[in-house]
Amino acid sequence: MEDCFATSWSRNDERGMQMIKPKVLVLKADGTNRDGEMTYAFKVAGGDPKIVHVNELRNGSEKMSDYQILALPGGFAYGDDIVSGKILAIELTSFLRAEMKKFIERKDTAIIGVCNGFQVLVRTGLLPFRKIGEMDVTLTNNDSGHFECRWIKVKVNGKNTSKFLQGMDGAMWLPVAHGEGKFFTDKKTLKEIEDKNLVAFRYVDDDGNPTQKYPDNPNGALNAIVGITDETGRIFGMMPHPECFIREEQHPNWRRGTVKVAGLPIFENIVKFVKEAK
Amino acid sequence: MIQKVRVQTAGQDNIKVYRLEGASEKEAKVLAEKLLSERTNQKYTINQPIHLWGVQAHPRGVSAVEIAYKPGVMNPEVESIMKAASDLGIKLIACDSSTEYFSQKVSFNPLIEHIVTEEPQTLLIKEKPAKTRIIPVRNLNAQELLDLSNETLFLNLEEMQTIQKYFKKIKRDPTDLELETLAQTWSEHSGHKTFKADLIVDGKKKLPLMTRLKKEALKHDKNIVSAFSDNSGVMDFYDGFGICGKVETHNSPSAIEPYGGAMTGSGGVFRDIAATGKGAKNIASTDIFCFAPVDLPASELPVGCLPPEYLLKRVVTGVRDYGNRMGIPTNNGSVHFHKDFRAKPTVIVGAFGITPKKYAIKEKPKLGDLIICVGGKTGRDGIHGATFSSGEMTDQTMGVHSSAVQIGNAIEEKRIFDALLDARNENLIRLVQDCGGGGFSSAIGEIGEELGVSINLENAPLKYQGLAPWEIWMSESQERMIVVLQRKNLGKFKEICKKYNVEFAVLGQFDGSKKLNVSFGSEVVGNLDMKFLHQGLPKRVMKANKPSNVIPADAGIQRAISSQASLLNESRSELDPRLRGDDRVEQPKSEKEWVKVLEKVLAHGNVCSKEPIVRLYDHSVQGTNDLQPFSGINLDGPNDSPVLRPFLDKKYGVIISHGLNPVLNSIDPYWGSIWAATEALSNFVSVGGDYKEACLINNYVWPFPDEQSLWSLDRSVDAVVDFMKVFKIPIISGKDSLSSTYRGKDGVVIKIPPVLCISVLGKIPDTGKTVTTDFKQVGSTIVLVGKMSESLGGSTYFDVRPTYVGDPSLIAQDDITMVPKVDLKILSKTFDAIHKGIQTGKILSSHDISEGGIIGAIFEMCVGGDCGVEIELNTSDGGRLKRSGSHDSSHVLKESNEVKRPDQFLFNETAGCFIVEVENKSVAEQFFKSVPYKILGKTKEGNKMEIYGNEEKLFVADVNDLKKVWQEPMRRMFP
Repeated sequence: MEDCFATSWSRNDERGMQMIKPKVLVLKADGTNRDGEMTYAFKVAGGDPKIVHVNELRNGSEKMSDYQILALPGGFAYGDDIVSGKILAIELTSFLRAEMKKFIERKDTAIIGVCNGFQVLVRTGLLPFRKIGEMDVTLTNNDSGHFECRWIKVKVNGKNTSKFLQGMDGAMWLPVAHGEGKFFTDKKTLKEIEDKNLVAFRYVDDDGNPTQKYPDNPNGALNAIVGITDETGRIFGMMPHPECFIREEQHPNWRRGTVKVAGLPIFENIVKFVKEAK
Repeated sequence: MIQKVRVQTAGQDNIKVYRLEGASEKEAKVLAEKLLSERTNQKYTINQPIHLWGVQAHPRGVSAVEIAYKPGVMNPEVESIMKAASDLGIKLIACDSSTEYFSQKVSFNPLIEHIVTEEPQTLLIKEKPAKTRIIPVRNLNAQELLDLSNETLFLNLEEMQTIQKYFKKIKRDPTDLELETLAQTWSEHSGHKTFKADLIVDGKKKLPLMTRLKKEALKHDKNIVSAFSDNSGVMDFYDGFGICGKVETHNSPSAIEPYGGAMTGSGGVFRDIAATGKGAKNIASTDIFCFAPVDLPASELPVGCLPPEYLLKRVVTGVRDYGNRMGIPTNNGSVHFHKDFRAKPTVIVGAFGITPKKYAIKEKPKLGDLIICVGGKTGRDGIHGATFSSGEMTDQTMGVHSSAVQIGNAIEEKRIFDALLDARNENLIRLVQDCGGGGFSSAIGEIGEELGVSINLENAPLKYQGLAPWEIWMSESQERMIVVLQRKNLGKFKEICKKYNVEFAVLGQFDGSKKLNVSFGSEVVGNLDMKFLHQGLPKRVMKANKPSNVIPADAGIQRAISSQASLLNESRSELDPRLRGDDRVEQPKSEKEWVKVLEKVLAHGNVCSKEPIVRLYDHSVQGTNDLQPFSGINLDGPNDSPVLRPFLDKKYGVIISHGLNPVLNSIDPYWGSIWAATEALSNFVSVGGDYKEACLINNYVWPFPDEQSLWSLDRSVDAVVDFMKVFKIPIISGKDSLSSTYRGKDGVVIKIPPVLCISVLGKIPDTGKTVTTDFKQVGSTIVLVGKMSESLGGSTYFDVRPTYVGDPSLIAQDDITMVPKVDLKILSKTFDAIHKGIQTGKILSSHDISEGGIIGAIFEMCVGGDCGVEIELNTSDGGRLKRSGSHDSSHVLKESNEVKRPDQFLFNETAGCFIVEVENKSVAEQFFKSVPYKILGKTKEGNKMEIYGNEEKLFVADVNDLKKVWQEPMRRMFP
């Protein structure tokens, strides 16, 4: 783990409290780069995160079954070569298929993938239909043709019943930073996703309406889809970075006194869910 | 057998091509379906052309053109394909990827790419091993020595003769490796010969530039942890940590291959941070570019130089693709334009990091310690980079030095850094050294100076066979680092490397011989005394002379005023408008003309919004950015400096900023440099920084140091030394690149406007006590704080006004040397007042004045605040001037900011002045009583900028209209 966080956190840790904190596996591969923020987010939300390299899962020195939450952070796993998240997805489905299957079959587990992590989740097939090794949706090149780093507004899909999304309403600010974030699939699959209310968030304009307009919708995602869950609501992926909006000062306009921290509640919900799940 | 897989994405008409060597067709199908294509939006073929899908039919006769990297050039994708194929149980011998285009116009860079016209039989590179050669130097005469040098060594006669003497003394001739090692170690790039030379300036002896800078800097050591002694400078931070900074230039590679040049420039400076002490973590990066204007007519582009538009686009793409993959936020930078950068662009890349102070200093290697290479394999790429970048640009540069160009692989570097930080935290490391310019030769040569080393080059992992030992030794293949550790730590270190997929090789050890012993297997290929290598370079004595011409500056200026302009191959003889005296420009006469002039200033390359570039860089990664590059209601108001919280759970932070003004430097190198330093520190103060908690980094990008250019360099160094003296803060790191002169075959000589870039790194106890530039509310009072110079020489305003036509010889010296002179005595008080105002929360927003002037700053604050302003300018007798504490009214006028002419006031670009927003007048009176200040007006509802002079309307402009003009230039470049 990054030394800097370790130094300051170990000092703040309360002895004995570790026991009740759900263990979070923050998955790292070559090129993963938002693992520090993901770790911080779960720490603040009351989890017990640990950064684990995929090689440690492969060689058995770490086991998914020892954790309750699997978090796939942003970055450029293996350079996002071929397409984003592809190489890591192949690695996971080739070597950790059984472990992942067991993990999602448990009722007390949660999976979150952000940005590159979301790209990995759809390419493993975990999202949207929990079919490991079968891909039904993709995240492809932004319509603009380039990487985009900016703050955008999203709105929760009230019909999605995932516990991770509870207590959220109205437009929320989140930062995006990606070049391949356009949610895309065939008409039939899109209909199925909509019918089953798997959409978690949509990009919205100033009036709070779902939008296809750039840059409010930064990538041209179909139906302004920001992120989705599976049917159980326990696997969740999205393009923006909630882990980078854990404290007010991370928003460019906090000095104007008009922003609400939007990222933290997602992590608090996840931690709460796995704590209560049995 | 090579299987060729083509993949098309719906709606796109370029086809991705993958060649898989060693796979059966069946295996290729598995790879095509599972790895190379996705059925949701792509289709593929194997060993067959593809029928385009989802795109309009192509004009007849357009056939595919396939562009691939040349064999041997880094293609980062290859490694990933090999890995994923292996994960899927398919063993490939080799693979490659390329692109087929159906467009009639395909651009590619022949230095690194080629058109594939023939199917390759194999993708493996096989070459016969090359042998070490002995180069006879002992019997060469002076001319022969120079001929030998001119090929690749770039040393002068005295240096060549020193080498000859050494080998005569040891009674043998050097190997190619030894000669290359000497040339690299003694190159301007590595040896900084000009900065270390004794100087004779205008006939008087002066200490070397480096000595003067260091001497002054080390007097102000309150915050210094290490300066001038490591790969970056380290300053004190909080809680036992240090923060460090390094700024590099990558002009020469970027001039001929901007994408790879920018990538490897970024990669190199990140490695400098990672190779600070026992290793530091990168937390931010900055990028500063200077190009010729993008609309430069092709006819004015010197032979062998690339068009500025192409350079700008490709450099930005390189920075994006490398920095974003590294997960290092790129959150500060700037782009400058001047015609003479057509000679050679200036590409400056900075990196900043953090490390516990206990790991901030390198440990001395001990006898028996191991020298280890981690990271990428060594290939023939980048050979002669260090010597190449010390040479001038010519029309031959592109062809002859193409091997100095490379493509970076960020992920390789990312995993090295992850591994090194782990190893550092387990205290396994003595020191880390970057393997950059000069390759192993430079990295190992430097750390081995005291003890001596034995190296076996046979141990170095190679990309392909056939490299001569000297090529392995000199190669600048990217993403490699040298680590020194005790033998007992080897096992643990190996484990960490394995965990992060980092390749690893023991190259040799410290042997106590005080020699550089290099072997390849059992063959000795180098045996040099460390003392001769590092101290044998004869010290230079260099002359600098003020140009005899009335104009104290460089060729660019001489061109402009010379009545014999044709001598310099310049067809245009008009005066560079920036150089005109103030009174030669008339004030706009009508409201319409005012707005037009303002629009021109805002659309000027040096002033216009750079947002489209910033959005391509990941500036949010690490989650540390508490003051982002853009803020305000529409998130489009530019800010002065980023403020970072390196520990997300701690309030204290790092502020990073920079400043430069090549135009002013070309007119007056002293005051231009003072302006640059002032601008850099003002950016730091403007967001809330206390200048006493800042350290500086200086970068000199200069024309070749002939007598005149050395004179201006000397003046610039004087300015930096004076600046340190006044503010009692040090330079902690720096770099020079003195080769930005172009020499054409036809005698054309073009020098760039000299660039001094000052970067600032500093700390702040609470990032919450910082401000952005966007106006926060309606009805606030707008105040100008700081002492303005009356001069507008070198300003954007002069650059956009109609060209003066007349007899250039009539221009007096005063007219053109009148660049704004910053009053440094008042400046520290101004800084203190701004800092105090922000810390107490009384300053609601602040923006420092730079290119675009006062009106430009106010405009940008309106953009952020989505509001308007009413500005009231009263000329001299208007009586709004205040400077309490003085009863002498004439003194007041002199010291304060008098409005003589509204245009010269509004477009004034004196650095060290600030536009601030405060609640009301009395706040201004309370906070700014000890410095010159002037109340300019109020913020208003709506989007109008209303400007009045002596109660009469000068003009009203719509902020949203101006915004379009201001945003358009870069939006066009980066749609």
